[in-house]
Amino acid sequence: VFSCFEITAYGALFSSLHQTLILNSSTSQGQVLQAGEGQVTITWSLNKNYPTGTDSNYKIVKVKLCYAPMSQLDRGWRKSNDNLNKDKTCQFNVVTKPYKPLNNNFTWTIEKDVPSASYFIRAYVYDYVGEVVAFGQTTDSHKKTNLFQITAITGRHVAINVCAACFSAFSVISLIGFYLVEKRKGKSLRR
Amino acid sequence: MAENGGVGSPGSSMHGITGKEQTFTFTVTSDPKIPTDTTAKFALPIDSEHKSKVFKIFSFAKPHMTTFHLSWTSFFTCFISTFAAAPLVPIIRDNLNLTKSDIGNAGIASVSGSIFSRLVMGAVCDLLGPRYGCAFLMMLTAPTVFCMSFVSSAGGYVAVRFMIGFSLATFVSCQYWMSTMFNSKIIGVVNGTTAGWGNMGGGVTQLLMPSLYELIRRAGATPFTAWRITFFVPGWLHVIMGLLVLGLGQDLPDGNRGALQKKGDVAKDKFSKILWYAVTNYRTWIFVLLYGMSLGVELTTDNVIAEYFFDRFNLKLRTAGTIAATFGMANIFARPLGGLTSDILAKRFGMRGRLWNLWILQTFGGIFCIVLGKSEKLEISILSMIFFSIGAQAAAGATFGIIPFITRRSLGVISGLTGAGGNFGSGLTQLLFFTNASYSTSTGLLYMGVMIVVCTLPVMLVHFPQWGSMFLPPSKNVDKFNEEYYYGSEWNDEEKLKGLHEGSLKFAENSRSERGRQVVSVTTPPDATPPVV
Repeated sequence: VFSCFEITAYGALFSSLHQTLILNSSTSQGQVLQAGEGQVTITWSLNKNYPTGTDSNYKIVKVKLCYAPMSQLDRGWRKSNDNLNKDKTCQFNVVTKPYKPLNNNFTWTIEKDVPSASYFIRAYVYDYVGEVVAFGQTTDSHKKTNLFQITAITGRHVAINVCAACFSAFSVISLIGFYLVEKRKGKSLRR
Repeated sequence: MAENGGVGSPGSSMHGITGKEQTFTFTVTSDPKIPTDTTAKFALPIDSEHKSKVFKIFSFAKPHMTTFHLSWTSFFTCFISTFAAAPLVPIIRDNLNLTKSDIGNAGIASVSGSIFSRLVMGAVCDLLGPRYGCAFLMMLTAPTVFCMSFVSSAGGYVAVRFMIGFSLATFVSCQYWMSTMFNSKIIGVVNGTTAGWGNMGGGVTQLLMPSLYELIRRAGATPFTAWRITFFVPGWLHVIMGLLVLGLGQDLPDGNRGALQKKGDVAKDKFSKILWYAVTNYRTWIFVLLYGMSLGVELTTDNVIAEYFFDRFNLKLRTAGTIAATFGMANIFARPLGGLTSDILAKRFGMRGRLWNLWILQTFGGIFCIVLGKSEKLEISILSMIFFSIGAQAAAGATFGIIPFITRRSLGVISGLTGAGGNFGSGLTQLLFFTNASYSTSTGLLYMGVMIVVCTLPVMLVHFPQWGSMFLPPSKNVDKFNEEYYYGSEWNDEEKLKGLHEGSLKFAENSRSERGRQVVSVTTPPDATPPVV
């Protein structure tokens, strides 16, 4: 149901959003977590310094895992863009929940397809028609503080390695075998 | 070629590639100059060397058509494995933490290895025969394909793609093997078809690998494991094809070379001389550049296009792969089409028609590459990619419609150099336009299109004294600067005295059809004027 809020209308600009949510995560600066095992607990609430009624049109909160600038270097497919339709900073969904001003938390086990990189967490707030209206993030506006690392799984398995070795050996041995058998046959034909 | 019991003279392993001599039909059974040998028992009509005079695509008749099918499917398999990583790059780049330059370097590596392996394969075919050449290469590169499943770093990724790329030398064994089985009058079409259908593998892989990946993921594997398992399939294909080639194939129409005797001596040409005449002919180098801008950009695009569509238009992996596949699969008709239009124009306009044909097709491809780079809409991108593919692939076919006429003596070396030029062009374009992170892939495509258009212009400089060039007519002094003069100039006086240039003279006579409709190709004594029709 919440996926219908995925696509917004003609790209809201990130710079036009207000950071009205306070987002906190259980990670500390420079902490390293393992994909597939590590857990991150995220809490968020409305920033009381904003006037009452700011959150009158807030409906859904989407929490995402986002790349830190150092992990976007030389990787155009992770580039940040002010136009949120083209922005590729936040590529992993953590959780989607209805909006509440207080007492929001979620413990996320890091998925196995998350690559090794530096990250922060950001939450986007959507209104009733699916447009982004606000956000909150665990880092500062320059995305320099409170970043944490995730180490990806290798994807390698002993079973795969063994199979690869076996098939390779089969290939080489059967080739040599064929060659030797034919050479011997050729010799006996000519005798 | 099959003289000398299968051991050819230097460069002869490349002879088959370009033998687009006079007829471009699928059969020469009715050609009175080629007697049919009725004593031997083969399913197809054969000539005195037991080479088939007929090309029946859908037949599997042993040994000729079986060889054709084994040959093109081996080459096709190697294209599949060499470009197998390309559509999976969006997953691999996250697993191995690759940067844009890592991805670019791997792409360059994948096409560089075969520059050397193709040269070595020529010698291997001469020594061991094309059957073993092909099987050895396929079964020894199978382990490198399996190796991809335990790569864990950028360096490993680049190294494995480099090693898998060696397998593209099956192009040489393919063409060599065809030339032992098919008469030289139809070898042009035969080899054009094998080359085109083999190249298609670069397109099919863009669809095959993402589809397999999806299947394996649905079966429960995580993404970073699923792509590794996917690589087992091209690996198995290598082993299966290698075994089929060994089991069902034979080197020569009459059997395997090991069981046959040598057929006596043929005067061998000196490699140093062949190399000299190839290297000092300026046309060689123009065509090396040109082929880099047709086949070269085709290989480059095979490497970058799936990732491009995935990133730029936010498509799913399978969708991006399907679009990318249409690029490579156009080869099934586009490459032979280029050769066909070359022949059609040559009938009316001679060699000048062939040159114009090449320039038009290749520039057309380049222009649509520019459009592809600039377009922001998915539909226009797909359409321009298709026109780009047709232009580039037809140009590759058209190139080998001209190469046989550049030289007769050094045909093998020029074909080899041109082929290497293709791979080199691919490496160069990837290095220049798709490795640097400071500009996007779409900008890279734009620049590559501009490079294609600019670097195709040198075809205007290719001039044959006996046939002219794009803008200049042939020499007025047609008695002195004729075909015999051109091909004879590859032999010095000493060699001419020994009569070594007889083959070239015969070829010169036959090549008079490149003058276009004005001249009927008949035997003319050197000092009489040919009849004008």
